[in-house]
Amino acid sequence: MSSRTRPRRASDWATLLLGLVIAVFGLIFVAMGGYLAILGGSLYYVICGIVLVASGALIGLGRLLGAYLYILAWVGTILWTIYEVGFSWWEWLPRDFGPTILAILVVLALPVLRRQDTIRPISRGAV
Amino acid sequence: MRRTSLLTATVLGGLLSGGIALAQVPPKDQPPGPGNNTQQEPRSPHEAGKFGAPDPSNPQAPGVNAANLPDNTEIDIAEVPQAAPQLSANPAHDDWPAYGRDDDASRYSPLDQLTPQNVGQLKRAFVYHTGSKPAPGQVNKWAAETTPIKVGDSLYMCSAMNDMMRIDAATGKEIWRFNAGVKYHSIPYTAACKAVTYYTSSTVPEGQPCHNRIMEGTLDERLIQVDAETGKACEGFGFHGQINLMQGMGESVPGFVSMTTPPPVINGIAVVNQEVLDGQRRWAPSGVIRGYDAESGKFVWAWDVNNPDNHHQPAPGEHYSRGTPNSWAVMTGDNELGLVYVPTGNSASDYYSAMRSDKENAVSSALVAIDVKTGSPRWVFQTVHKDVWDYDIGSQATKFDYHAQDGSTIPAIILPTKRGQTFILDRRTGKPLPEFPVEERPAPSPGNIPEDPRSPTQPWSIAFPRLGFPELKESDMWGMSPIDQLFCRIKYRRANYIGEFTPPSVKKPWIEYPGYNGGSDWGSMAYDAKNGIVIANWNNTPMYDQLVTRKQADKLGLMPIDNPNFNPGGGGAEGNGAMAETPYGIVVTPFWDQYTGMMCNKPPYGAITAIDIKTHKVLWQQPLGTARANGPWGLPTGLPLNIGTPNNGGPVVTAGGLIFVAAATDNLIRAIDIKTGKVVWSDVLPGGGQATPMTYQVNGKQYLAIMAGGHHFMMTPVSDALVVYALPDNVH
Repeated sequence: MSSRTRPRRASDWATLLLGLVIAVFGLIFVAMGGYLAILGGSLYYVICGIVLVASGALIGLGRLLGAYLYILAWVGTILWTIYEVGFSWWEWLPRDFGPTILAILVVLALPVLRRQDTIRPISRGAV
Repeated sequence: MRRTSLLTATVLGGLLSGGIALAQVPPKDQPPGPGNNTQQEPRSPHEAGKFGAPDPSNPQAPGVNAANLPDNTEIDIAEVPQAAPQLSANPAHDDWPAYGRDDDASRYSPLDQLTPQNVGQLKRAFVYHTGSKPAPGQVNKWAAETTPIKVGDSLYMCSAMNDMMRIDAATGKEIWRFNAGVKYHSIPYTAACKAVTYYTSSTVPEGQPCHNRIMEGTLDERLIQVDAETGKACEGFGFHGQINLMQGMGESVPGFVSMTTPPPVINGIAVVNQEVLDGQRRWAPSGVIRGYDAESGKFVWAWDVNNPDNHHQPAPGEHYSRGTPNSWAVMTGDNELGLVYVPTGNSASDYYSAMRSDKENAVSSALVAIDVKTGSPRWVFQTVHKDVWDYDIGSQATKFDYHAQDGSTIPAIILPTKRGQTFILDRRTGKPLPEFPVEERPAPSPGNIPEDPRSPTQPWSIAFPRLGFPELKESDMWGMSPIDQLFCRIKYRRANYIGEFTPPSVKKPWIEYPGYNGGSDWGSMAYDAKNGIVIANWNNTPMYDQLVTRKQADKLGLMPIDNPNFNPGGGGAEGNGAMAETPYGIVVTPFWDQYTGMMCNKPPYGAITAIDIKTHKVLWQQPLGTARANGPWGLPTGLPLNIGTPNNGGPVVTAGGLIFVAAATDNLIRAIDIKTGKVVWSDVLPGGGQATPMTYQVNGKQYLAIMAGGHHFMMTPVSDALVVYALPDNVH
C-alpha cells in the first residue's frame, strides 16, 4: 500500500473486493472440495479452488495475471461442465451461472488491473 | 407411510450432521429374527416391555376414541342380502359416482364438451367452502385430498375432518351437511378424507329413507352411513348409522389408526382398511382388513395377516395381530370375481424387518386379492420383498380389459408403485400378463444390519415404461451456485447409495431413491380405455435416511404417538420415528440442502407421462409443476418455468381429449392436451391442489371440480375451497 504513488479510486476498491470474493470462493472450494476428493468425489473443486485462491490474491494485489487465471478457471469450468453434463442447459445453472457473473466482473476490472499492473513497476522502482 | 414434517426434518438433519452419523455400537439385545416363533411370545416380563406384543388383556381404554359405540355383532356371509346393482358399476354418462369414477377406478369420463380448443375459456362456476381448516393455535395437519362424487344433480363429499355434505352440482348450494364430530386429536399424520361411497340399498325400497346412502370411514375409525337424500343417519346401519372400527384393535390412542379412504362395496360387502401411523412401534395396532354387510353394518369377516384362519372378531380382551402390514390406499372392488384388491404397505417399523413374521413378509408392499365371501386372499402379488424403504403402495389399482395380441381379452389390473414400476396383472390370478413380464433381479444383500438380511432379488416390470430416472450420480447434484452443488455432492458421497435397494445402515446415512414419496403415490393413474392410454403423474424425490440407535433416538426426542410425552407438533409421525420395540429409530429427511431448502438432485421433481398400453411406449413425458410458488428458502420465485415439482393428487382423462391435473406445489389446476402433453389451460387455486379433480355434467353443461385444500407437508396454502369450473353460457 505504501508503495502506491496514487490514491486509490472507487474502481480500485471494487477490484480489491472482487479479488477477495474470488479468493474466498477459492478457499471454500479448496476446503469443501478437498473433503469431497477424500470421499472419492470429483477433483474439479479442489483444483479449481487452488487456481481461484491464486487468482483472487493476484487480483487483490492488482496483478493482471490474476484476471487471466480467473478466465482460465472459467474456461476450465465450462469445459468441465460439458464433460459432466454436455449441453443440458438446466444443469449449467449451478455450475456456470455464478462463475460467469464473476467472469464478467473480472473482464470489467481488466482496465483497472492494466493500470495497476503498469504503475506497479514504477512504484516498485521508487522503493 | 408418506412424509415427514419438513421443519422437523431440518432440525433433525442439523443434529444429524452434527455428529450423530458417527460410528455406532451394534445393539446388544438381538431381536428375534424372521420366522422365529418367539417373536410374538415374549419370554419374560422384561422382554415384554422391550419387544413383546402388548398384553391382550389390556385393550383400548374406553373413551380415548370418538368411536365409543356398542360392540358390533357378526353375521354369516349367507345372511348378507343379495346386492342391488350399484351406480358405480356402470356410471351414467353425466355422473362420477365413485372416487375413481367407476368400479374400475379408471378416472376416465366420457364427457367431451371441454376440448383443447375451448378449455382456455373455462371460468369459475362456483366455489364451495367445506369449513374444515385449522383453528387458530392448531398445528396445520390438513390435506383434504378429497374428490367429490356426483350422482344426478348433486355432488357428495367429505371435508378433511369427515363432515359429509350434499351440494347442488350446478350452483354449489349446500343441500345438507352431516357433522361427524371428529376431534382434532384424532388426526393421524394428516386430516384427509379422499371420498365418500355412494351405496344403493338392496332392502330399503326406492323412495324411502336410506334407499340410497352415503358412506364414509373416519379419522377416528368409524364407518358412517347417511341417507343420500337428507343427510340423516341410517338407523338400519350399525348403531344409529355408525359402527366402531376400533373394535378388536386393542390398545391404541387417537390418531394412531385412521380411515382416510372410501370403502368399496363388492357384492354387498363394504370393505374397510386403515392407515396405521408409520414409525411408531413394532407392535402398532393391526393392519387388519375387514368386511361388513353394507346393508346392516354387521361384521362379516376379517383378514388378519398373522391369524389367517380366524376370520372372526376377536373375543373380548383379545385383539387382531399387531404390527401387520397396513393398507391406507384406496381399494378396488371386483363384483364379477368377488374380489377386493388391497394395496398393502409394510409391517410396522418400516425400516427394520428382522421382527416380521413369514406371513407378514409374504403380503407386505403387495396387491392382495381378497375373496369377499371368505376374507381369505385368493392371490398376492408382491412389489418389494422385505420392504425397508417405505415403498408401500399408495396408489389405487385400476382394472381394465387387456386385448392381447392373439385377439383374446384378459381381465387385467394396473398396479402403480412408489418405485415407479408399474405391474400389469391378470386379475383372476395375480400373475403378470405375458406381454408385461416381471423379472426377479439381483438386489444388494445381505445388507448392513447383520440380523436383518435383505432379499437377494427384487421384482422389476421390464416391459412397462418406468416412471423414473436413472440412478443418481454425483454429477446429478444441483443448486443455485457451485457452493450448494458442492455441499450436495459431499452429502451424496457421505451416504451409502447403491441404487434403489440400498440397504439401511446405522453407521452412515443412506439415500432412498425414488423415495417414499417417489413414483406413483395416492394420486394413482387414469386410464383411457378407448385409446388404450395410461396417464400417470409421479414424483422424483430422494430421501436421506439413517437408522439411529435407541439411545440416539431418545436423545432426538423420537417417541411413539402413544407415549405421554409425544409432541404432536414436533413431527415424529410419518418419516422420522421412534420405531419403539425395535433396536433402532429412524431419521428421514428429504435429500436436500437444509440451508436453502432446495432438493440436492436436479429437477424435475415431478412429471406426467402418457403411455400407450398396446405398444408399451411413452407417448410423451413432461415435467409437472412450475416454479411460481417455489424457490430457495421457501420463497416463491413467481417464475413460470416448468421445473417439475413434487406432486400429490391424481389425473383425470376425458373423451374431449383433455387431462385435468393439479397435484403440483404450484397451486395450479391445468388442462393438458392428451395428444401433445402441452398445458392448454391453467388457473391459480386458492390453496394447494393436492387432490384428484373430477368432471361431470348437469343441465347439459360440463363442469370440472377440484378440492384446493392444500397439503401441510408439501407446504402449499391450506384452504377449504372446492373450486368448480365451467364454460360461460355463450361458449359451447
